Amino acid sequence: MIEALQQTGFQRVRVCNFFNSFSGTTKEGVARKYGVQGANFIAYRAA
Amino acid sequence: MSIACPVSLDREKLKSEVRATYARVAENPQGEFHFHRGPEYAARLLGYDLAELNALPPLATAPFAGVGNPFMMDALPPGGTIVDIGSGAGMDCLLAARRVGSEGRVVGIDMTDAMLARARRGAAEANLPQVRFDKADMTSLPLDSGTVDVVISNGVINLAPEKDKVFNELFRVVKPGGRLQFADIIVGTELSEEVRNNIDLWTG
Repeated sequence: MIEALQQTGFQRVRVCNFFNSFSGTTKEGVARKYGVQGANFIAYRAA
Repeated sequence: MSIACPVSLDREKLKSEVRATYARVAENPQGEFHFHRGPEYAARLLGYDLAELNALPPLATAPFAGVGNPFMMDALPPGGTIVDIGSGAGMDCLLAARRVGSEGRVVGIDMTDAMLARARRGAAEANLPQVRFDKADMTSLPLDSGTVDVVISNGVINLAPEKDKVFNELFRVVKPGGRLQFADIIVGTELSEEVRNNIDLWTG
């Protein structure tokens, strides 16, 4: 995701926060197996 | 960490499955799904303010199925133009509308008719006329170039099989100096071809 955003032209791309979005769902085991979690991203277009 | 779409995946079928899944969420948010919905989930796991969510119409909050919190990173500019990609029933749009105020503008983009109908009713009930909802694919936005201050999104871009087209379109509509602040899922391991071809895993 970060590389794709940078290749598009966005700058200062970063992941800011992580979330256990699948905790307690029926996909919790799959999420844990593949390291799937929610995350916040920020990216800027140069002025 | 990104998910590339396998060449063999039927992209139209994937879009159709996504639309069908989220239409079911719009029609019955309390139904059985493989992901959380609603304001209590948003507050408990994603850091939203439950009191603020409870002040919004349940029409907008009950089907919420985001995976993060795009409001955590930076304040939205008062009077600014905000676009929400995959706005669903509109919860994040209503929160954004309160932040930009009556001089601002919020555009929710979604491709599911049932979600759009619910979102429009919710915005009217919340008396936030600065919000509008448009039906569109996120690879082709009905917005002029360089007109958006901030793009938000919550758990939707991962559903797009053509992420490069999505990011190019977002770059087109964002003003110079503008930004994306969005939530999505990340994958910590390299996925096998079999897993990447499993539409059930794409649609959640």
